[in-house]
Amino acid sequence: MTRWATPKLAGYAGLSAAGLLAALVFARPELVALTAPFLLALAAGLALATPPQLRVHVELDQARALEDDEVGARIVVESTTPVDRLDLYLRLPEGIEVRDGKNPVALHLKAGERRELELQLGANRWGGHVLGPTYARARDPLGLLVWETVAPERPELRVYPREDVLRRVLQPRETQVFSGNEVSRHKGEGIEFADIRPWFAGDPLKRVNWRASARRGELWVNESHPERNTDVILFVDSFAEARSGNEGTLDLAVRATATLANAYVGRRDRVGLIAFGGILRWLVPGMGTVQLYRIVDALLDTQIVLSYYWKEIDVIPRRTLPPNAMVIALSPLLDGRSVGALLDLRARGYDLTVIDVSPVPFTPRPAAGLDSVAYDIWTLRRDALRHRLQSAGVAVAEWRDDTPLQAVLEEVREFRRYARHAHV
Amino acid sequence: MITALGSVAALGASIAYIAASGGQLARVGAGAGAFGLGLLVLGLVLRWPTTIPWSILLVGGGYLLAREGHSVVDGWAAAIGVLLLLAAELASWSIEHDARIEAEASLVRRRIATLGGLIAAALLINFMLLAAAGVAASSGVLLAAVGVAAAVAAVAVVLRLLHA
Repeated sequence: MTRWATPKLAGYAGLSAAGLLAALVFARPELVALTAPFLLALAAGLALATPPQLRVHVELDQARALEDDEVGARIVVESTTPVDRLDLYLRLPEGIEVRDGKNPVALHLKAGERRELELQLGANRWGGHVLGPTYARARDPLGLLVWETVAPERPELRVYPREDVLRRVLQPRETQVFSGNEVSRHKGEGIEFADIRPWFAGDPLKRVNWRASARRGELWVNESHPERNTDVILFVDSFAEARSGNEGTLDLAVRATATLANAYVGRRDRVGLIAFGGILRWLVPGMGTVQLYRIVDALLDTQIVLSYYWKEIDVIPRRTLPPNAMVIALSPLLDGRSVGALLDLRARGYDLTVIDVSPVPFTPRPAAGLDSVAYDIWTLRRDALRHRLQSAGVAVAEWRDDTPLQAVLEEVREFRRYARHAHV
Repeated sequence: MITALGSVAALGASIAYIAASGGQLARVGAGAGAFGLGLLVLGLVLRWPTTIPWSILLVGGGYLLAREGHSVVDGWAAAIGVLLLLAAELASWSIEHDARIEAEASLVRRRIATLGGLIAAALLINFMLLAAAGVAASSGVLLAAVGVAAAVAAVAVVLRLLHA
């Protein structure tokens, strides 16, 4: 414990010394009477001051929660010595707030007393939050000395983004070789009827289309589309964000990424993650619930880190971007590096979709003057950038907070259908 | 707010006594006291605890000036000393108070009781001191000061033993 004297101790000591000295110099007993109360307070305070023997620790009811959930926390404090006044304060990171309970709190402890302070914490924002430190400050009865200590435990609370429900997701243009829920464009073993063709040696009898064979006078067999899985790469742009209050474009992007990851993993697709920003993070595509947890855990560490380093798509490991993978990018399109990387991905033939997490709702338009003109130019340039991406064959849809993600995906789907027809 | 007003009131009462004491330099003493009061108010507003001892020192100095020309030991000095302590304690309480910290009700009661006990003890010691000074005026201030120190030390020892 760290002990330090309050300004009161020095003040009273100075007053006592000055008063007694003045009493001697001026030979006035009244000055002793003025000084004696301070001398008494000083002596009594120091006599009553006992160094506290405290043990403080913090517990959480659960280490994981969803956004907007409430998590119980408990500050346990024990003292073997009496503490006249103990101030306790659990420092909470941004995104966590006290919904119920007292923090900071001041209390009195008797010798050997144990107190448990219950707090209900609200997880307002996704992320890996480290709670604490917990500060404990004890004072003597007259407030002359203060002892401070910090609880060694700093529990971690992982808050997962709340996911939307998607009725259907984007279907990639190309499928992979493993079984899945996506009907492949290729022909092979499957359920979905594709075509008929003449029988060849080796074709199983069960695939013979007897009606077509009777009409043509020779054996014809059914062909089908196999059900395959796909590779989906979720690309989160973490170079820059627009933020207003507790919400920002990165929050929306992370929630949407978690939603998409959940939906694609549920379809037995292989899902990978690239967080492209000041800090580059990636996750090689994989399947199953474990991969979903990996993705969500990786998302929790995503943050905006200022960087001037010019990054291109080459910095991403090759295994993270398998051939024929569909890339769904969630970006506010604020940083030229991410826009360049997306165009580069498209140029390399990837099936790319960009969900433009619009920063416009987070940046209110100035009322008048040059600022408002600049704002209008900025929004026009954003429109031009989206058009540029669309010209490159990238499906782009602007997403604002008040629009459901499903609606944005439907807009993208329509564009992809239209674009496909246009190419034909 | 209550503690701040109490502190100002206690110091104001001391200054009023200084002004009413009728000494040769009573007005100068009251002026010094008023300056000390202003300093205390400034400290309370800006939450500067270091202004408290300076304001007390100024009021004490004002009292010393006001006593110029009086040869008889002032019996009210006991009350003035206690008022000064009360002003300092209440001002410290006011500055230390942080509205963000939710204190248990028992803490406030304990602090009032502690302050009350301290004031009562200080008053008692002061009366004993001035009575002793009045009886043995010839023995001088040094003896009185030693007596005070001994009394205070005795109180401290008793408190320490009780606390242990």
